[in-house]
Amino acid sequence: MRKVFSVCLILAGLFMVMSNAAFATDELKIGIMVPTTGSEATYGKDMENAILLAVSEINAKGGIAGKTIVTVTADDACDPQQAAAAASKLVSENVNAVVGGYCSGATLPTLKIYGDAGIPIVLTAANSTKLVSANPGNTFLVNSTGDDQAITAVNLFKQKGVKKLAVIHQGDGYSEDLAKLTEKKGKEAGIEIVAMEVVNKGEQDHSALVTRLKSKSPDAVFWTAYYADGALVIKQLRQNGYMKLIAVGDGSNSPKLMEIAGKAAEGVFCFSNPTVEYLPSAKAFGENYKKKFNQEPGPYSALSYDGMNLLADAIKRAGSADKAAIVKALKATKDFNGIAGPIVFTPENKLARSNFVVLVAKGANWELNK
Amino acid sequence: MSNLDIILQQLANGLILGSFYSLVALGYTMVYGIIKLLNFAHGDIYMVGAFIGFSILSVVSGILGDGWTGIVATMALSMIAVGFIGVIIQRIAYRPMLQAPRLSILITALAVSLILYNLVMSITDGEFKAFTVGLGYEGISMGEVYITFTQMVLVSATAVLMTILHLFINKTMYGKAMRAISIDQDACRLMGIDVNRVIAVTFFVGSALAAAAGVMAGVYYGSIHFFMGFVIGLKAFTAAVMGGIGSIPGAMLGGLILGLLESFGTQIPFIGSEWKDVFAFGILILLLVFKPTGLLGRTEIERM
Repeated sequence: MRKVFSVCLILAGLFMVMSNAAFATDELKIGIMVPTTGSEATYGKDMENAILLAVSEINAKGGIAGKTIVTVTADDACDPQQAAAAASKLVSENVNAVVGGYCSGATLPTLKIYGDAGIPIVLTAANSTKLVSANPGNTFLVNSTGDDQAITAVNLFKQKGVKKLAVIHQGDGYSEDLAKLTEKKGKEAGIEIVAMEVVNKGEQDHSALVTRLKSKSPDAVFWTAYYADGALVIKQLRQNGYMKLIAVGDGSNSPKLMEIAGKAAEGVFCFSNPTVEYLPSAKAFGENYKKKFNQEPGPYSALSYDGMNLLADAIKRAGSADKAAIVKALKATKDFNGIAGPIVFTPENKLARSNFVVLVAKGANWELNK
Repeated sequence: MSNLDIILQQLANGLILGSFYSLVALGYTMVYGIIKLLNFAHGDIYMVGAFIGFSILSVVSGILGDGWTGIVATMALSMIAVGFIGVIIQRIAYRPMLQAPRLSILITALAVSLILYNLVMSITDGEFKAFTVGLGYEGISMGEVYITFTQMVLVSATAVLMTILHLFINKTMYGKAMRAISIDQDACRLMGIDVNRVIAVTFFVGSALAAAAGVMAGVYYGSIHFFMGFVIGLKAFTAAVMGGIGSIPGAMLGGLILGLLESFGTQIPFIGSEWKDVFAFGILILLLVFKPTGLLGRTEIERM
């Protein structure tokens, strides 16, 4: 009796292994790591939706080499500890690859977890330069990092013939980083930085600063912080007769800037991650997204959609679901054209060219600068 | 820009900024003068004034337009409304505490500040509101120095309000009663002065002035938010201390001086504009070391 039982057990075990193996042959498991709870949940949901849309399109076309894609979502809650738990969960689920990653701080500790398991990961929003240095080799960033924004900015200034530049930030990590990077890249490009100023958060009167800036007669003023205070600075610059170029960083990419600054914002330049509304090639995606989820795509939806499609493309090129082969194929990405632009990686696995777009304020809206 | 132009322009900037500080500082100093309370909720009254002005303007602009007529009407109505809010706050929060130790009423003031701040935050969802008015950027330019008509009107309005206040304090019975109460409350009560009523009037006037400053800030800067009272509350308090807290001319002077210090502090060569506050507050410390009562304050003899 006991013998029969153990034989049964062994058989059952064998069957399970076999069935697993059988599933593995016609299914690909992709992990989605995004925050679906917590303060950043809306952005995480926008990303997950875009990835799911890409997956359903790929599966509708017969999957990748006959294999259907199944997804597992793990919630990182934009919290480093929970992100580590989410990554471990995806590793134990034995996923073939991971796509997602919104908060840089939460994504950072997961890179090693995926790296140890050899799982390739495509980061579609997180873009801290720290992620580049912490990359164990399996991580691919499809969103441009902060220094790319500085390069885009400096390129615009060069193109507009700016020789003297004034930079204003607010002393917080984000805006100061961008200001310092712009200073560095600007100097390399031969632009003189005539002023590097700091504005206190919540201060309303910037007239003294404006006078100081005007006395240094810059050809352009670059505001690297957020829209609310930026709108006041822009308004007061224009009010006091500064009529030359003004540009703002991606933290100021909000129509609220025009609402507060009014007509003073007309013609102000802004740098932005490629979001659906400014991408001519993302029109179909935007419509399908709206149809499927009954809402507008979020700021990182386009990149997440590209990230999933890139992954599918790499798996197809790799010709197998083997993780190391996928990493190799991702590295070799050459002529992948996403809706947010072409993707080519540097040896560090970050975008070879900046994907920041230049917007210009027209009336109450931002429009793509042509 | 030549150096002279810079000096003139910064002078204008400082005077405009200083007008705002003065108007808010007056409320601090009046309340302190009469009941020895540092009313930390005063910055938030300024903020509430801006928001009430914002709501009133949306109605008034439909009738009078969003030019100067509408703005003046809005300002007058907001001053009255916020004046009454000040009186209500005084009646509910401060009056029961008048006989309590001074620390208790100070903490009550902090609580009032938190309540106002969080109330507006939850009503507005913490969003910035655009305060749109139909004023252009026209002005007069003298060489490189440029002053808009809006700026001139704001400074003149401040001057008018301060003159009215000066006359009110020095020429009316209520003003006389206020001055008397600030010297000796108990004696005033014995003389048949309705002390509570006079205190209420003081709160009304102080809050109305803060509301005027709030509406003016909305008109001038074009955006308002729930956090806007914090920085100016701090600066106006500084201005009141600089001028000598409890002294009304002191608050006017202190506000203007602080405004000028800040705008010239921005211009100090070799260091960035982020040092302007260090400069302004450094001068405050020096001033308090050499003249602890402030510029126009009286030495107070505390009897135990």
